[in-house]
Amino acid sequence: MAVEALRLRRLDANRVEVPKDYKSGMSVPGIIFVDEVLEKDLEQKSIDQVANVAMLPGIVGASLAMPDIHMGYGFAIGGVAAFRTDSGIISPGGVGYDINCGVRLLRSSLTREEVVPRLRDLVQVLYREIPSGVGSKGKLRLTRQEMERVCRRGAGWAVEAGMGEAADLERIESGGVIDGADPSLVSEKAYERGKSQLGSLGSGNHFLEIQYIDEIYDEDAARALGLFRNQVTVMIHTGSRGFGHQVCTDYLEVMEKAVRKYGISLPDRELACAPFQSPEARDYLAAMRAAANYAWANRQAIMHWTRESFIGVLGLAPNRLGMSLIYDVAHNVAKVEEHEIDGKKEELVVHRKGATRAFPPGHPELPQAYRKTGQPVLIPGDMGRASFVLLGSQSAMRQTFGSTCHGAGRVLSRHQAIRQARGRFIRRELEERGILVMSAGRETLAEEMSEAYKDISNVVDVVHNAGISRKVVRLRPMGVVKG
Amino acid sequence: MGYETVDVMGDVGLRAWGETLQEAFRSAIAGMYGLITDLDSIEEKKSIEVSHQGDSPEGLLVGLLNELIYIFETEDFVGKRPEIEEFGEGRIKVRIFGEEFERERHPSGLLLKAATYHGLKVEKMGSRWQMEIIFDI
Repeated sequence: MAVEALRLRRLDANRVEVPKDYKSGMSVPGIIFVDEVLEKDLEQKSIDQVANVAMLPGIVGASLAMPDIHMGYGFAIGGVAAFRTDSGIISPGGVGYDINCGVRLLRSSLTREEVVPRLRDLVQVLYREIPSGVGSKGKLRLTRQEMERVCRRGAGWAVEAGMGEAADLERIESGGVIDGADPSLVSEKAYERGKSQLGSLGSGNHFLEIQYIDEIYDEDAARALGLFRNQVTVMIHTGSRGFGHQVCTDYLEVMEKAVRKYGISLPDRELACAPFQSPEARDYLAAMRAAANYAWANRQAIMHWTRESFIGVLGLAPNRLGMSLIYDVAHNVAKVEEHEIDGKKEELVVHRKGATRAFPPGHPELPQAYRKTGQPVLIPGDMGRASFVLLGSQSAMRQTFGSTCHGAGRVLSRHQAIRQARGRFIRRELEERGILVMSAGRETLAEEMSEAYKDISNVVDVVHNAGISRKVVRLRPMGVVKG
Repeated sequence: MGYETVDVMGDVGLRAWGETLQEAFRSAIAGMYGLITDLDSIEEKKSIEVSHQGDSPEGLLVGLLNELIYIFETEDFVGKRPEIEEFGEGRIKVRIFGEEFERERHPSGLLLKAATYHGLKVEKMGSRWQMEIIFDI
């Protein structure tokens, strides 16, 4: 480990380079955003994965990784890679199994003090109303025709079905729908898995969390986003459920064949991909977009039931409650975007796998509300520490194709976490710190305890100091629903 | 035959073995259900029959387990005792005895998104067959 680590070259306080000669076949270097503290947590295998991605055809600039990097399927989680649309590739491994796993944040007009007395009721009702855990089903049962509309319309489908308001859509990345989804390129199996899971949270690190703002780093920006100290917020972290998992599984097989068909040489079969202009790539892109749209419909439905739960428990009128969407980001997705390369605008396919888009002020893709501030970036932490709101920056456009980190990143495997939690009462420990947790899983609380993750504050400090996004507020958990 | 879980950062692995390749497949199937819930909590109330084809033992294993994940998510079926009915020539046919998953009776284990090719191993080790497979969770 130590010998290999020497081959990384520190560029500045927040970045190390994986030089082009780290492995033969790299056409660009790798750049990992870590300070000297987080560098110590780097796994050899995830560094190798950054280097492997640098060998893929048509990669532009550098194979990038965020400070929450850890080993993933083919591509490291926390990875960002952009490819030319004329000579590059697209790869399902660069997106991940949970297509458009992402985060949305709602604000409220309530303060922490107003919510604390009803917190237990709120958590119980949310746990009941929003299905989570293994084998959980949503409350919706969709026909095939409706499923196809979900694929095409994304969050817009949910709004049309009465879940939320048209104004919500402006505050979702891409308006809650990526054009170009083709429902006919999604397998029957994906439809079967997806039809009963819309409106469910899933399991693992997915959650729904009642939080409050305990620290403001940028008063002006917080005000512009409608955020204030002690304000209660709700964060929802989930994705496209079995629908997206199946799309990924299906297209990994398609890509395995494409690799042979087009004679692409790969350092790792998990990087299976196809030339962006090939029919296989077009099909995957269209199916992936359908799954991304499913995820946005999912988060929209869950947000709607969250609002209803708050109204029911607190007995407040919606306008008094003031629960509105701040933003919704995708952190597992591939998107066709325009970026400036050597002073020229180029169309690229940007893979973000465990990385969040972080567009700057003035970017044409941002809604009017955020044209001046830049795009809100939502970074969930573990259930015991904190989460963050940041804003995108111009520097991210130059350094990372407008991308930043996505979360804390694990430091303990699930088994290590379970071992360390033995003899402890995680639920009780959290409760003593004012955090109520409900979870269906037999070992979720141990697996997901704070110690299993890097300290999110360190991760966020690196992206802030590197200038690829800037801190606005910190959110502390109060009530957590986990799968 | 038997199985154990393997420590993998961020995901979960399974090591399954048996005296024959068939036995190892049985272990892997039971082991996978053991990740989803506690096998002891499952009763043999019904059975399903699943066939799968693949051009290698590895492909067969990944494909079959993904099929069983699919059946779990769409039919709620959790298995306890797999019996291999046909095996060979790139094909496996298995009957699995188990029941419908009910959250009230069955502890919630891990939500498996997919069986993957990541770190996949199917090999003869001495007198036994052993396989290692990682699930994305």
